[in-house]
Amino acid sequence: MALDIALLVGLVLAAALAILAKDLIKAAVALAVSSLLLGIVFFRMSAPFAGVFEISVVAGLITVLFILTIALTKTDGEVQESRTALWIFPIFFIVFIAVDALVMKGLTAKIATLPAGPESGAFGDVLWKQRTFDLVGQLAVILSGVFAVLALFRKRDKDE
Amino acid sequence: MIFLYIGLPLIVAAVLPLVGKVSKKVLPDVLANGVFLFLFAYAVTGARPLLAGGALRQTFTWFGEPLGIQIAVDGFSLFLLTVIALVSACVGLYSISYMEHYGSKANYYALLLMMIVGMNGLVLVTDLFQIYIFMEVAAVASYALVAFGREHAELEAAFKYLMLSVVASAAVLLAIALLFGLTGSLSFAAVGEGLRRLDDKIAAGIASALFLLGFGLKAALVPFHAWLPDAHPSAPAPISAILSGLLIKVSGVYAMTRVFFHVFGLTPALSEVLMWLGAVSIVVAALLALAQKDMKRMLAYSSISQVGYVVLGLGIGTPLGIAGGLFHLLNHAVAKSLLFLNSGSVQQATGTRDLDEMGGLAKRMPITATTNLIGSLSISGVPPLGGFWSKLLIIMALVQARQPALAVIAVLASVLTLWYYLIIQRKAFFGKLNARWAEVKEAPFWMSAATVILAVLCLALGLFFSSVVSTWIQPAADGLAKGMGM
Repeated sequence: MALDIALLVGLVLAAALAILAKDLIKAAVALAVSSLLLGIVFFRMSAPFAGVFEISVVAGLITVLFILTIALTKTDGEVQESRTALWIFPIFFIVFIAVDALVMKGLTAKIATLPAGPESGAFGDVLWKQRTFDLVGQLAVILSGVFAVLALFRKRDKDE
Repeated sequence: MIFLYIGLPLIVAAVLPLVGKVSKKVLPDVLANGVFLFLFAYAVTGARPLLAGGALRQTFTWFGEPLGIQIAVDGFSLFLLTVIALVSACVGLYSISYMEHYGSKANYYALLLMMIVGMNGLVLVTDLFQIYIFMEVAAVASYALVAFGREHAELEAAFKYLMLSVVASAAVLLAIALLFGLTGSLSFAAVGEGLRRLDDKIAAGIASALFLLGFGLKAALVPFHAWLPDAHPSAPAPISAILSGLLIKVSGVYAMTRVFFHVFGLTPALSEVLMWLGAVSIVVAALLALAQKDMKRMLAYSSISQVGYVVLGLGIGTPLGIAGGLFHLLNHAVAKSLLFLNSGSVQQATGTRDLDEMGGLAKRMPITATTNLIGSLSISGVPPLGGFWSKLLIIMALVQARQPALAVIAVLASVLTLWYYLIIQRKAFFGKLNARWAEVKEAPFWMSAATVILAVLCLALGLFFSSVVSTWIQPAADGLAKGMGM
């Protein structure tokens, strides 16, 4: 329990650092750390597939892409930002944690749950046969993202 | 083959950017509009007979292997599918001329089709997680479309929209995770069944609150509306029409209604919350709309106000209230799309959206002025147009449900609505022609055609309201009232 809480706190801190860091490389690394911690949490909650995907894709692949892109676009990675985030975020976070702790203290061990149905079939079966529709949706999300990049980074046409 | 509603736009969208390399304008126009028109024709002619035997479920096989794709259609889904197809067909026609000067038409249509895929998918799914996925499909496409012009204001609005929309998605996903943890299943029927067996007020309350926050943000109900008055005006006019006419209703109102009616069941407390959320949205947004100088911002605030009417009607929970809410959803989709398209025509002709700079445009743009008047009167609830009947149904349902306070609010707010729409008419179209606009021309053919079709629809929905209600609205309300039997 204590280890889980430590992992989750680390996750939130790394995620906050990813947003607040001025240097883009530092932000990308902080993001990788946060998703690495999330992957470990997945493993500890006995969701190995989620953990593997989280660590390999988000912590690994995406970070590599980010760092490559940052290295290729040679600008000074300094971003002009407002300083309000630096003090608003901690205040908000502390309030949120306090409220969250109170709510959870009242609720934990009080909520009954139904037993989960038995796992039916191997991972591949579940993914390809039972949740096929989710894959169609995933495909659509990825396509939308690709089209968004194509549209927003298009060259100016003559008639624009 | 109801799955065409998801599959066809998805496939056409996937090939469009490649087609755009060969033909910059003609082929993308033809392909995209072909899809929109086909889906609309199919909704009206082919899909209705399917429902003769009640709600319909379809599963798919792939070379004899059963696939995990299951879609379900009842009157409510089919009604939404038809509204989506109708508005997107008109918006597609309008885009032929309007998007000329933006460039990159193929990408624009690809994103528009993805938005339609997301909305159609959301309407057809049978399980909570798929609601989340298709909501995201439509949302990701809409972020890019809001920023499509790539000006500073548009990018800023798109970013604001993205941030608040992510909060909404996170809330919805958290609620879904909570329900999955409680019941161990995701399909509407199984989760509903599980919740009834658990009978745990606290957990169901937390999940309901999270859903209310998420879908309330998506539907832009007051107090979750901050993003909409930036996002909707910044987008190109046809996209504003889709966002206001469809997206907030599908990923906000439809999803909320489906989850609350078919998973949780509408409790009196929830009904009360929905009604007051709707009423507050109606009044606050109408007052904010009065203060606007920018034509499209005024229309955006009006959208918040009218979605308030829809939620108010659905929140009553009586058959009459549901029918009124759904009918108002249809009227608002048609009329608001029309008004946003007209604002685009005016903006293209004059280069401004500032009401104070316009004046007397009716002399130069008679078609736009006339259609705009029809749309405005319909939304304001002036008989014999469609909006009058739907507001009347909602108000009658409120009186029946012994909610006189809300009924009075609904009546008075429609006076406010008429007031700010007359401001638009007076400042933009009537009065003396401003000398600056002496050379202004009427909108090009396709743009005018789309607005005329929508204006005729506004009239038809009012004149033939009884047959519209019995053909389209009643089956939808029945489907909602009795559940899908999932």
